[in-house]
Amino acid sequence: MKTTKLLKKYASKDLAESFVFRTKLNAQDKKKSDRQLHKMRKSIQEKLTPKQILLSRLMQLKYQIEDYSKNTTYNNAFSFGYFLRAYLKSLNKKNKDFANDIDIDETELSQILNQHRNPSEKVIIRLELHSNKAIPAITWYRLLEKEKEHEILTDTTLRRSESRHVRNRLQLSI
Amino acid sequence: MHIIERITGKRHTVVIEPVVEEDYKTITKRKYFFNWKTEKKHKLYKLRRGDSDIILGLISMLNEKRESRIEIRLLAVSVENRGKNRQYERIAGTLIGYACREAMKCYGTEGCVSLVPKTELKKHYINQYGMMDAGKQIFLAGLPLLKILNTYEDENN
Repeated sequence: MKTTKLLKKYASKDLAESFVFRTKLNAQDKKKSDRQLHKMRKSIQEKLTPKQILLSRLMQLKYQIEDYSKNTTYNNAFSFGYFLRAYLKSLNKKNKDFANDIDIDETELSQILNQHRNPSEKVIIRLELHSNKAIPAITWYRLLEKEKEHEILTDTTLRRSESRHVRNRLQLSI
Repeated sequence: MHIIERITGKRHTVVIEPVVEEDYKTITKRKYFFNWKTEKKHKLYKLRRGDSDIILGLISMLNEKRESRIEIRLLAVSVENRGKNRQYERIAGTLIGYACREAMKCYGTEGCVSLVPKTELKKHYINQYGMMDAGKQIFLAGLPLLKILNTYEDENN
């Protein structure tokens, strides 16, 4: 069916709820149109209030955490501490003030940020409450779960040390 | 993210994920209107119910990195979901919401989603999704983009 037939078959409102059609602009029109779009975007973005800007930053961070958690590859640089640091940066908060906000010791926060300690469930819930649910506890938890998964997959030292506790191992082969 | 079954009003959780090679066997022109194989070099995503493999809608996006903008090149819902008797509500909106999510993830406050509409449909995109008119293109940025995310995203996805 061609686009013109669709336009006859369905009401325009229904089509707008079902399609975005391929519409090409010639080079000159595109350039002109892009300029116009850029100008309008700027004026719209300038109208964002400080609260809306903060919300946008937190949503950006949330989506980055979500996509990294879903991704099958592990990257050592993207630790819980890395994303928590990004959260603090978005808020423009000092460690001391933020530790005070979520009622933990500054040392504990520093250990979490530097990957010397995992956050407790309480801390994860407090992060959700602190962001007013902009970044839910489950989003932080999945990040932690990904780290744990990587640890279990790659911890050869633990495998060696636990080996002496296992007897009568199954002898399986195809 | 969710869609709503028109007759029962029941909500169904949906998943949006990249189209894989195997999908091209089922995404035919008859069912999804366009030849989607021509979109392979772009970011192509499918929407399905969380409990089913049936593709309900497709979107092709172009990430214009230099302009911090995502352009929606093509979008289509499956043939059963067109018109007044459609099976589900919110498929196209959820796909547009996903493009907004990508724009927000990549560009934060600078993020923008645009498309070049057919003249006949322009006012409907503006009414339905709160898009803004920039002449040949319409777009979502700033507060309207945040509003779309708020409408089509669920808490604790």
